[in-house]
Amino acid sequence: MNSKPSLTNRVLVHGVLLFALAVFMFPVLWMFLTSFKDSNTEFNRFPPILFPAEWKVSNYTDALTDKGGLRAFGDSLVIATSTAVICTFFGAMTAYSLARFRTGGQDFAFWILSTRMFPPVASALPLFLIFRELRLLDTYSVLIVANTVFNLPFATWLLKGFIEDLPAELEESARVDGCSYFRAFLQITLPLITPGLVVTALFSFIFTWNEFMFALLLTRNKVQPITTVLPTLVGGHETLWGQIAALGMIAIIPGTLLALFLQRYIVRGLTLGAVKG
Amino acid sequence: MFLNLSYRLRRLAPIGLAVVVLFAFGALVVLAQDAPAPLDVVNFELCSDFGGVTVDVFGDAGHNLKPYEFWADDFAQMGITVNIVDAPFNDVYSRLQTEFIAQSGAFDVVTFYPAYIGDFAGNGYLMPLDEFMGREPAAVWDPVQDDVLAPFRELYNKFGGETYALTIDGDVLVMMYRQDLFDNPDEQAAFQAQYGHELRPPETWDEWLEVGEFFTRDAGEMLAGETLEQPFYGLGEYGQRGFSYAWYLNRFASSGGIYFDENMNPLINTPEAAAGLQNMVDALQYAPPGVLGYGYDQLRDAFIQGQVAMVVQWTDVPKKAGDPTQGSVIAGRVGVGRVPGTLVGDSVVHRSMMPVGRVVGIAADSDQPEAAYCIAKYIAYNRSLEDVSSSLTGLDPYRMTHLEHPEAYTMFESEDAARAYLEGLQVALADGFPEIFIPGAAAYNDALDLQVNRALAGEVSPQEALDAVAAEWNNITDSLGRDRQVELWRQALESYRALGLIQ
Amino acid sequence: MTVSTSAASTPFVSWAQRVFTPRRVVALAFVLPALVILLLITIYPLLYTLRLTVVQWELSNARAPIEFVGLNNFGRVLGDARFWNAMRNTGILIGVGVSLELVIGVGLALLLNQVVRFRSVLVALFLIPVLIAPVVSGYMFRLILHADVGPLNYLIYLITQGSSRGFGWLSDTHYALMSIMVTTIWQWTPFLMLIALAGLQSIPQEIIESALVDGAADWRIFWSIKLPLIFPVLSVGLLIRIMDTFKTFDLVYLLTSGGPGSATETVAYYTYLKGFRDFSMGYTAAMAFVQLVIIVIIARLILAMQKRQRREDYA
Repeated sequence: MNSKPSLTNRVLVHGVLLFALAVFMFPVLWMFLTSFKDSNTEFNRFPPILFPAEWKVSNYTDALTDKGGLRAFGDSLVIATSTAVICTFFGAMTAYSLARFRTGGQDFAFWILSTRMFPPVASALPLFLIFRELRLLDTYSVLIVANTVFNLPFATWLLKGFIEDLPAELEESARVDGCSYFRAFLQITLPLITPGLVVTALFSFIFTWNEFMFALLLTRNKVQPITTVLPTLVGGHETLWGQIAALGMIAIIPGTLLALFLQRYIVRGLTLGAVKG
Repeated sequence: MFLNLSYRLRRLAPIGLAVVVLFAFGALVVLAQDAPAPLDVVNFELCSDFGGVTVDVFGDAGHNLKPYEFWADDFAQMGITVNIVDAPFNDVYSRLQTEFIAQSGAFDVVTFYPAYIGDFAGNGYLMPLDEFMGREPAAVWDPVQDDVLAPFRELYNKFGGETYALTIDGDVLVMMYRQDLFDNPDEQAAFQAQYGHELRPPETWDEWLEVGEFFTRDAGEMLAGETLEQPFYGLGEYGQRGFSYAWYLNRFASSGGIYFDENMNPLINTPEAAAGLQNMVDALQYAPPGVLGYGYDQLRDAFIQGQVAMVVQWTDVPKKAGDPTQGSVIAGRVGVGRVPGTLVGDSVVHRSMMPVGRVVGIAADSDQPEAAYCIAKYIAYNRSLEDVSSSLTGLDPYRMTHLEHPEAYTMFESEDAARAYLEGLQVALADGFPEIFIPGAAAYNDALDLQVNRALAGEVSPQEALDAVAAEWNNITDSLGRDRQVELWRQALESYRALGLIQ
Repeated sequence: MTVSTSAASTPFVSWAQRVFTPRRVVALAFVLPALVILLLITIYPLLYTLRLTVVQWELSNARAPIEFVGLNNFGRVLGDARFWNAMRNTGILIGVGVSLELVIGVGLALLLNQVVRFRSVLVALFLIPVLIAPVVSGYMFRLILHADVGPLNYLIYLITQGSSRGFGWLSDTHYALMSIMVTTIWQWTPFLMLIALAGLQSIPQEIIESALVDGAADWRIFWSIKLPLIFPVLSVGLLIRIMDTFKTFDLVYLLTSGGPGSATETVAYYTYLKGFRDFSMGYTAAMAFVQLVIIVIIARLILAMQKRQRREDYA
């Protein structure tokens, strides 16, 4: 805007934005407050109370130990990390091929993307039956594979954009110096797209961390990601709101950190690289 | 490759997190469960030491898994660690069915609602228990099934004559009401003036509506001589998807209904059936606004927190309503009676559904069936009185032993009150109406529940809803094989008759 | 692979030399791992599902045989009123919900575009909902929408000065689907906001300035300059939102289980019930395929729209 906006205009803009922000933050805030309330005495109250009389940290310790939150946190960590590593590495290779050699042309690239459009139920059904035959249900590997289905196409597209942004001359000059394609890829390309790799890995991590349906259907006992532990706190007989909120607060840590510290790449990550932001 | 990596990571994770666990441990000790005191009313011996095995127990999340915590020391003596895997209340069937089909060996002991016994035992997912039950010495192995009330033994535990499960929770519905309101002279007079007859706990479903209407008041109006700060409602219903069908079936059964005829033709959409559903739809106007979201806990809380005058509920709710430490504001003001009935000819027929209930079975692919059986038998027999008489659980009496020891139910203000509770429960059991137990029960119930719920939500009329149920039931029967279903249904009818549950 | 250079130049070798140039071999080598993975975990399951669509297989009944039924399953899906009800609910979530996300998102982006200081802090805070697990956001809204003790109903109680105690947001047929929609709007509006903001910031300042010189009104600048310019990026965001909304499962599972009645059953939730509760394998596979077709059509439509828009821009 070249003309300086009037003061009233600026106040109005900021006012509306702050109001909207308050609306968008309120659910998080409310869950935060609930996570310190006593499920029995402070939840079933009308009018609802804003602050707990006593900040019950025991909701957190309870949810983590008694209710298996800690184990679930570990399980989610293993699954999300493995998926992120696999997707980023193989995604980078594929992306390199697509970007530098135009392998398979536009159609192949679109086809890879379209696998992300699968309704998850449609993938869950055959994966369930196949992994049943392999006797691999209820293991880390089944969830890693299932999440890779969705994140590999995403990683490929995202990284393809990063590689395309990179001038090809750099690799070519390395090739002239006698580097093999693979070495050029490893030593020149990958270091130069480090931000891209980090962003891809983090997004694959978050998407896997947040995933629910596969976790629900493909695991039950030996592996229990955090998203499947939350619903078990809603018994038919009592709902442990304090602990649900506590575990919920813990579950949103990775996503919140990403939002706060990686804002620069979020647009790109969320749009599969289509919008550079 | 990544398989190895992740497994290694998994093994490392506990070590890495040990510090956190150490800190958390302090909290754990503080939270050590209070458990009911051992009463030692039955004789039992523990199984001999298994030398450190883990038994995976599946069950619906919440207070009904508490017994596994209460008696962990005894399990330790048998060399067994119990690992609990829980699922949301409405998910028991789908989670178990998924595992049984997957056969991943995730569970040893499975807790489920006995309506599914036909599905699970009929498909060979459960291990027959008769061999374990007959072993010597009896004090170790015999769950004393003769002590279990007949319906909870014959319908809950058996399929095709063999025992596949042991009962741990015997469920039947009762009516609960605010005795103080019905006893209030002003209210009695007002009711007499308005309806021309005496105020009393409803005997029939028509009276249920009448009393419901009478006690529904806005904030600011008077109730039993006090000004209401918040609105008050005449009644509550179970409106949530999942088990709302049972609240409808109370009405259906009392009007003489039975699910199918001898040839598996649905009888669910008769005019009497539709009238029953209409009654439930009509009742909603005297219930709190969120009633279609009411499951067990919301319905319980609405009653024990004094928001509604009457509810039909499971028999553990009077225990909670009598116990101020469980959040009850109406302790000592609760009446328990028969579920309302329907006037057939000139007598009122009462029918109480026996929905849910819990049994434990052993997964056919369990790799330690013996240890699993020891756990199942322990919960079903050894300490069952302690478990059902505690307000820490939601388990309900199902053995003669449970009915013969009113002194165990210490949450009641007196032994007489406990005795009255147990007698009321026996009356309800005498009115008991069985669920469907043949294979496909889960599907039949789900189809019924969906349509009942649609009618309650006003999406379709009661008759339309029930016609849709009949059509869907026929589909289910056909897909399971009509001939076999007919045969199993006839057997079921026979056992219902033998137990005196139907004429 | 094609090492022999001079001697045996049979037709095959020369063909192979032409096709498998070193460059192409390398290209293939790079794409191979991902290709194998994708084939194994997407194409194989896809074919597996396709095969299932032509059988009747009731996995919940161990005795039931697997029968070939041709296209019968598809016929049943198309005639299934519950499926269409689920489609309708999903359609409402997309049509109304995503539209509102778009409108609110673009509105917020326009406002944010005028903010200079602390913009990145504001954006970061707005973005938190986007990266929260839907399971958790489901519980956040169960707390907020709670009929008896939720803060929303308390607000209504305060505003109406006690004459209304609010609504059964998740249990009333009239509001349940709306409540799920509100949850998705809360979670995903910032996503579209962010994309719109990125688009707005990439508009060259000169274009707007020259329009201002011409005396164009604010709304006119927005409508005929900004919006067309951000449309291509916005449409990508829309496409992603439409596809993801089509898959709405978590929130239904957590908030309403499809109830009351079938008021909130989405197509993904219904498919889950048929697949992992009833275990009707063939029928579920057919339903999944119908959804896949619909999703692909939507994706194609939006991409075509995007292309046309681009052409118009250059024209």
